[in-house]
Amino acid sequence: MVAPATPKSWYLPSKPHKFCPGCGHGIVLKALGETIDELDIQDKTIFGCDIGCSLLAWDFLACDSTQTHHGRTTPVMVGIKRARPELITIGYMGDGGGYSIGSQHLLNAAVRNEKVTLILVNNTNYGMTGGQMAPTTLPGQKTETSPYGRDPDLTGYPTRGPEFISELTPEGAYVARATVSKYKQLRRFLRNALRNQIEGNGFSFVEVLSTCPTNWRTNAQQTWHFLEDEMEQYFAVGELKSPFGRGDK
Amino acid sequence: MTKEFVTRSVEAYVGEYASGKSEIAINRALELIGQGRQVTLVDLDTVEPFYTLRPLQEKLESLGINIICLSAKDAFGLGETGAMLNPKARWALRHEGDIILDIGYGVYGARTLNLVEGAKESKELKIMLVLNYSRPMTNSRERIKEYIKSFDRIDYIIANTHLGDQTTVDIIIKGNQEILAVADEIGLPVAFIAADISLAAELEKQSFSVPIKFINRYMPEAMWS
Amino acid sequence: MFLEVLISVQKVIGETKKAFLTGNEAIVWGCLAAEAEIMFGYPITPQNEIMHYWTRLAPEYGKGFLQTEDEISAGFTVCGAIQGGIKAFTATAGPGNVLMQEPFGMAEAMRLPVFAVIQQRGGPSSGTVIYSQQEVSLTAFGGNGEGHRIVYSTATHQELYDYTIKGFNTAWKYRFPTFLLGDGYQAKMREPLELYEPSERGIEIIKPHALIGVEGYISEGREPQHLRNIYSMEEELYDVVLGFEAEYNSIKNDIIEYSEFQCEDAELIIISHGVVSRAAEDAVTALRSQGVKAGSFRPITLRPFPREQLLNIIGKSNAKKILIAESALGQLERIVKNEIYGQTLPIETLFMPGVGIIDYDIMQKVKSIL
Repeated sequence: MVAPATPKSWYLPSKPHKFCPGCGHGIVLKALGETIDELDIQDKTIFGCDIGCSLLAWDFLACDSTQTHHGRTTPVMVGIKRARPELITIGYMGDGGGYSIGSQHLLNAAVRNEKVTLILVNNTNYGMTGGQMAPTTLPGQKTETSPYGRDPDLTGYPTRGPEFISELTPEGAYVARATVSKYKQLRRFLRNALRNQIEGNGFSFVEVLSTCPTNWRTNAQQTWHFLEDEMEQYFAVGELKSPFGRGDK
Repeated sequence: MTKEFVTRSVEAYVGEYASGKSEIAINRALELIGQGRQVTLVDLDTVEPFYTLRPLQEKLESLGINIICLSAKDAFGLGETGAMLNPKARWALRHEGDIILDIGYGVYGARTLNLVEGAKESKELKIMLVLNYSRPMTNSRERIKEYIKSFDRIDYIIANTHLGDQTTVDIIIKGNQEILAVADEIGLPVAFIAADISLAAELEKQSFSVPIKFINRYMPEAMWS
Repeated sequence: MFLEVLISVQKVIGETKKAFLTGNEAIVWGCLAAEAEIMFGYPITPQNEIMHYWTRLAPEYGKGFLQTEDEISAGFTVCGAIQGGIKAFTATAGPGNVLMQEPFGMAEAMRLPVFAVIQQRGGPSSGTVIYSQQEVSLTAFGGNGEGHRIVYSTATHQELYDYTIKGFNTAWKYRFPTFLLGDGYQAKMREPLELYEPSERGIEIIKPHALIGVEGYISEGREPQHLRNIYSMEEELYDVVLGFEAEYNSIKNDIIEYSEFQCEDAELIIISHGVVSRAAEDAVTALRSQGVKAGSFRPITLRPFPREQLLNIIGKSNAKKILIAESALGQLERIVKNEIYGQTLPIETLFMPGVGIIDYDIMQKVKSIL
């Protein structure tokens, strides 16, 4: 069997990976791997992950990696960067780890313009623990802890992270929202985010809209529909703040 | 394209947490193997990985069943519940022979079938709802009706009333009687009554309006055994 | 969410019935029977199904729920709801239990009737999601306090139901944070148990009362309620803490629970708690049939610990050795040794941190130390 071409920064002994069929993580990590190769930073990269589905990425890359507690990837990356500024720190987390338990860390890293790169994969639920409601669950969406559909009166509206992050960050930060349905754009945004850290400009944050057919219980068609026709309508895709000039969408 | 067999069984076992659907799915797979058929048993329980097929994989494979689930080895070192799906599960229907799908609970009920390519559209598919009258969510005719309504399609009911090791013939008869009454009222066929084989001698003396199947317990009694 | 002054109690269980449930479900039914009103929680395995079942049943029984941003918030929102006079509870495990020590500490200091379910998983840190008895120290003595808490360690699903009802009553009667210490195995296993209306068994459900927003109008002379957990002088704190200790000691005998099996003429006593005690009792039966005079002691309350009762039982037996068996590296042992200080019997240990212990394991150990 001929193995597919994979990024140099992918760790082959951990392949095939453990993500569910149809999961967007595979796409994000492919884009990330290609970007790390393109920028030639494999030897300087430190990859941090949370304990949700992002946990399945802990031995995914051929880069030094560290798994942290739920929501604590951001402060660990901050600590590494402050100790070793020459390293490129990439924190990888989900919507739960980023916008819920880790929100205070995310907020404060943004305010301090920490020179880390955080990638937050948003699939509107807590995947690994069985599909509970997440900060980004859409109104009316059924999850294990919103079995009758999310009621915004009771639990608020979905978190628009990049929007509030870009408000908090000073000049020099890079904030964007990408989607696994637009691969070239995802690559561009990840490249800009990492460039931002490499050039020492400031904080970089990319939320990536992603798919979770397992917990959404959707077939292929329904999965893309939910991502493109529902999530992308609610969560605007594009660059919100960029030292590299207004990016195209 | 899958070869269209003249007759092949594609059965999806759905039901509440602890309704007994995994046990029944395993017994059904063994029944089919015993008839000389080819069988694939698929674990689609994405919420409850520790009480399903994983611990039994080797044993069942040695009996000739093709098992699709994430083995404990695959999940080794990767914490949380392991709400993970074996990619092979997506293409389960491509296997030749009979397919038994063990579907976990969750708010979505039978929507989990979306995760298996072609399952919902399959003309061979039968959705079997396993009911245990000893479970609070299905312990009255009203509750059972409500529960059935939450599925957009059920083909057969399997009456599996039991109380673990405190099951008595009386409990089985009384509980299943209620289930049969509801099935009759809403016009759903009951495939069979399921009961532990240890009660076979007593139950064989009774007569039921539907077939009765005796099942062996394969799932571990305690998590640590 | 409506907060009615007089909450009409809906009969949740109705007539006593046997049911086949998972542990997490049994706890939810217990909470409903105990007239709990609202749950605050955050996803963490293996207690997630408590949230799943609670949210499913909430509309039918008019109950509230909020999934908070993390466990620290879940603990503090419970504290808030309780101060407002509503029966609130939470459930957690592992790293979540660690985070909740901050709010549990506040509850200790402010004597809030918090009831929390802990489903132990492997530790330290993320450990495993499966099982352990490694949260004993944390649950019994966590936070920066003196352990003025009540901890029930259950072993069967019937107990999960019974002690949830009892836990709420104990918390609201004595106002020490009260914990049901279960584990991942209990959470996921399926067992038959009997669900009943507490009133059918002569159990009176203690009604909650508010600590703030109490009856009466300040503008008409009602004293404003000022609650705090900080003091200015060492002596102030000293008096408060010793006051808690005195009260805790005065109620111990009303709360302590334990069970013993065949200790009377035992030459070796096995001490264990939770599900391990089931294995211990099976081991005792098997050992006795092989001529080995073993006995089993099981503390049901880890806090307060049945010290007098254990010393008494040891004294009356023929025990020449004690064996402590736990799925941890000495967390139960530490408590036992502290409580029975002065006792001179040699103490052997069977430590299997994060791993289930079966009767066979205990029997092998007993044979090797006799």
